[in-house]
Amino acid sequence: MSPYRFVPHTADIAVELVAPDEAGLRAAGIDALRELLVGTSAVRALEERPIEPQGLDPTERLVRFLAEALYLYDTERFVPARAGRAGVLGEPFDPARHAAAREVKGVTYHGVTVREGAAGLHATIVFDV
Amino acid sequence: MNASGKPMPRVERIDDYRWRVPRQGGMRTDGLIFADEELMRDLEGDQAVQQVANVAHLPGIVGPSIAMPDIHWGYGFPIGGVAAFDEEAGVVSPGGVGYDINCGVRLLATPLAIGDVRPRLRELVDTLFATIPSGVGARRSDLRLDPRELDRVLRDGARWAVAQGYGRDADLEAIEGGGALSGADPTCVSERAKQRGKDQLGTVGSGNHFVEVGYVAERFDEPAADRLGLTPGTVTVFIHSGSRGLGYQVCDDSLATMLAAADKYGIALPDRQLCCAPLSSPEGRRYWGAMNAAANYAFANRQLMAHHARRALARVFGEAGERAHLVYDVCHNIAKHETHTVAGASRRLCVHRKGATRAFPPGHPELAPRFRDLGQPVLIPGDMGRYSYVLLGTDGAFRETFGSSCHGAGRRLSRHSAKQLARPRNVPRELEARGILVRAATRATVDEEIPEAYKDVARVVDVVHGAGIGRKVAQIKPVGVIKG
Repeated sequence: MSPYRFVPHTADIAVELVAPDEAGLRAAGIDALRELLVGTSAVRALEERPIEPQGLDPTERLVRFLAEALYLYDTERFVPARAGRAGVLGEPFDPARHAAAREVKGVTYHGVTVREGAAGLHATIVFDV
Repeated sequence: MNASGKPMPRVERIDDYRWRVPRQGGMRTDGLIFADEELMRDLEGDQAVQQVANVAHLPGIVGPSIAMPDIHWGYGFPIGGVAAFDEEAGVVSPGGVGYDINCGVRLLATPLAIGDVRPRLRELVDTLFATIPSGVGARRSDLRLDPRELDRVLRDGARWAVAQGYGRDADLEAIEGGGALSGADPTCVSERAKQRGKDQLGTVGSGNHFVEVGYVAERFDEPAADRLGLTPGTVTVFIHSGSRGLGYQVCDDSLATMLAAADKYGIALPDRQLCCAPLSSPEGRRYWGAMNAAANYAFANRQLMAHHARRALARVFGEAGERAHLVYDVCHNIAKHETHTVAGASRRLCVHRKGATRAFPPGHPELAPRFRDLGQPVLIPGDMGRYSYVLLGTDGAFRETFGSSCHGAGRRLSRHSAKQLARPRNVPRELEARGILVRAATRATVDEEIPEAYKDVARVVDVVHGAGIGRKVAQIKPVGVIKG
């Protein structure tokens, strides 16, 4: 489990990510997204879907990576288990094992800046729900 | 201090209903918040006021950066935000519209008396729940759109739906923009967006979206209520939803483009979610075509749901249910080209409303003839346990808020706090004890949407009425709620 924690936000859902590097931030972001989408349902890393790295800086790369994982869930019901080297690992949604916890509309750029701190890289992502 | 640890922008009280955020830092204009003291106190500790100030940084803004009394912390613009931009020097910002493009609400009024409906309310609510798909991943099994048909939806909106037999011609007169916005260009909508939304037409979705059965509980302006068909004690149906995954993806697609465009055109952004492009730029025009297409999808979506709501009413109550008429349908999240008077001069502006409702006054040429002498109906849903309101647009709104009013109660608790509050309780049972039946795809949605999570919409509406940016017509109380 990668380090993430949900922080207060009135209308939407904000999550704070902390990791030693960009790959760690993606991993933490996917863990948070998985919890939003299917709660505590166990998700197996059966297959990997490639996600092209896109964006001019670490902030944009992080947001676009998570947005792509959300797109895979919304269009193909591909549930993310964890971030992989070149994309996201997961499995198809199975109503017998996965709870469809909520609809996530988007991964916003509101207030997001990947910055260096004592514990590595930090970012707070707001998901529109 | 707000949630980010930064000091809140300075705010000055103007009168009982208005607060100024004076121009400071990089702001190009003042902020103007409509609220009473208690509503302002709800904003302490979050970033909504900062977001009002952030919007005032954008180039080409005309007049103040405005927030309605249901203002709360969103992303980019605050929810409840209104801002107008000059057509030549101004910008269009996807963050000023939101992911759920043309999220909106419509109201049906039936001739059925609440006393006749109550004994069969459970049957009605169950029928609506079975007839209108709701929740995550919901699809209509009776509708398949090929790419050409989806493009027709994007171009023609509710008109497409009526032409297919989902509703009546008279419905179209009671929809903002006639149910089809003219700037739509389906070729500006990506295949990814079309893929995300192609199976979701006619579905409610999740979160704060709903279908709600209610009744006319109180009337503040009887002649106006009569004109809108809001007879005391008759049953109504509210439908709240938007452009589903298609709209979300249009927004998402545009953000990458707009971030690059802001850089290209030298636009300094206080928040990346406010990324934007000049209205006249290729990037701005492309977003405009896609946004309007998504808005039309949303109009068609609500039109289909209204059709199926009528069928559900007819299944339970026969022909009287089928006679439900559309009171009105309004957008909550949209940008539109409109003509307004600024400093005595008529100007074409692009008005962004994010979590705000158009509220045009009597006599406005964009209103259908049957509303021309009345003003535009403004629908303000509250939480699922208390009440909702119908208002009318006013000259005051046209003068002061670019013809805009509030859109709902506005959240006051985070979803996490609401769930914590609801955890030891059985919220559906509590509501049933108060005469309100709830059907939902998941318990979590109901818990996050408990009435206490919202401001008292009566307070919000009183500010709107008191400030003269809308006038109260009727109050509607819920008796049955379908949530995603």
